[in-house]
Amino acid sequence: MWRFIGKIQSWWYLVRQLTLVEIVGMYKKSFLGMAWMFILPILAVVIWVVLNGAGVVNPGETDIPYPAYVLLSTSIWGFFLEAYKSTSNLLIKNGRMLIMSEVPFEPLLMQKVVVHLINFIIPFIVNIIVLLAFGVRFSTVALLFPFSLFPLLLLGMAIGMVIAIFRIIMVDIANLVDEGMKLLMFLTPIVYTPKITTSWLQVIVEYNPLTYLIGFSRDLLTSGTFFMPVQYAVFTFVSLLLFIVAFRFLMKSSPIVLERLINN
Amino acid sequence: MPEPILEVQDLSKKFCRRLKRSLYYGITDVARQTLGLTPQLELRPEEFWAVNKVSFEVHAGEIIAVIGANGSGKTTLMRMVAGIYQSNLGKIRYRQGLKVTPIFALNVGLRNEFTGLENIKLKAAIFGMTEQKLKERLDFIIDFSELEYALKTPVGNYSSGMRARLSYSVAIATEPDLFIIDEALAVGDSLFKAKCYEHLGEYVKEKERAVLYVTNRIRKVMALANRVIVMRKGEIIRDSFDTTEAMEFYINDIVGDNMADDLKEMKLKKIRHFEM
Repeated sequence: MWRFIGKIQSWWYLVRQLTLVEIVGMYKKSFLGMAWMFILPILAVVIWVVLNGAGVVNPGETDIPYPAYVLLSTSIWGFFLEAYKSTSNLLIKNGRMLIMSEVPFEPLLMQKVVVHLINFIIPFIVNIIVLLAFGVRFSTVALLFPFSLFPLLLLGMAIGMVIAIFRIIMVDIANLVDEGMKLLMFLTPIVYTPKITTSWLQVIVEYNPLTYLIGFSRDLLTSGTFFMPVQYAVFTFVSLLLFIVAFRFLMKSSPIVLERLINN
Repeated sequence: MPEPILEVQDLSKKFCRRLKRSLYYGITDVARQTLGLTPQLELRPEEFWAVNKVSFEVHAGEIIAVIGANGSGKTTLMRMVAGIYQSNLGKIRYRQGLKVTPIFALNVGLRNEFTGLENIKLKAAIFGMTEQKLKERLDFIIDFSELEYALKTPVGNYSSGMRARLSYSVAIATEPDLFIIDEALAVGDSLFKAKCYEHLGEYVKEKERAVLYVTNRIRKVMALANRVIVMRKGEIIRDSFDTTEAMEFYINDIVGDNMADDLKEMKLKKIRHFEM
């Protein structure tokens, strides 16, 4: 971990430059520019309001209006998923830089985290405004919300770091996990509530760590309560442990796999 | 003899000829590493030594041309020296605090939609410069690249020569103790190339510095190097301070002996005509 911190310090200017290039670059050719950061979450809200109004979805009982519930849940799920996606593509997307220059992977990983947080924060501000409009009121405990997301970041990155290696040497595994993530969204109480009555789904939801990691953050923000705190604490610890193991795996294995990046 | 700035001892690196087998070996190597087992050092089916027991030293003031036929292991050796590839066997010892800057592909990291100035900042960061160091060296970069007129132009509108000038200028501005250039000066106009050669000659004299550059262009070697390393099939077959003699050795080596004398002489004549 000290090696990671040391590398980030000495390559901090690269982290900043790559972050700037990625954020600005995303909207550079667009006439609406960075306004897209606000437009997309607003569109997401509209879609869920329309679906709910049309009675297409039956989510089960929710404490807050359904569109607000699903908006917040998908936003937290997106936080986890993007952490996985950006980390799992780390080596393949930066392969040319990694084998043509002496840039190590650590600043690139850090840059992904920074970009990920920026990409989350701006739409999230829109979400907060929408939640207020739906009548959701926040308590002071809600201030802990950003910290409650930390285990999700660690877990998403841990899976991503392992898959980053497999994406080069065994792309089949990476493809399977990518597809598995789509399925996992439906096995996690995001568009429905943990009180779902379907028995087999209830069992999966019960053993799914994301139920607790996402549910804890969601309830913290919307009702100021702690959803299943013991399970949340256990899976936070597990996420931290997985992150450390996965980081070590990436650090040790990346030299072996990078020389096999022949498409760069 | 003064202390070398770089010492390479019995360095070896193996690769696999077949893609799927290479990926399979990747999986087994990662598994062995994860389980804490020692890596397999002997050659497995379809593997070959891309660099095989290479040893040499680099001293301050040297501009070393590394030449050899395609696939002779030059770039792999340079990537190991730059710390990008891990060697399978052997050691590299750097002088304490040695700053190494390698350029293998000048376009790496350049973003077409960003301006020349924005790309200078990005490229400087890729070469490991801090913001403070860039501030100190920005005027040099702009001056050396001769691109002041195009700093606000997107790099996508630059010619390949202009891109090369931008990247090369940033690389040299990092003031490396060991500068590794892998065919990076193949583009760029003649005037800029001449300027780079002249600058490199002065550069190594200024401080305890050295240059390793990979090329197949004989004329370039003659113009710049004060030492030549010739490689063949992953091994160093000549290491000489007499550049003319080393070049003759190289062209004789690539032509080979498996032909009649008059045919060989004709081929040598052709190479000398086009390259020297």
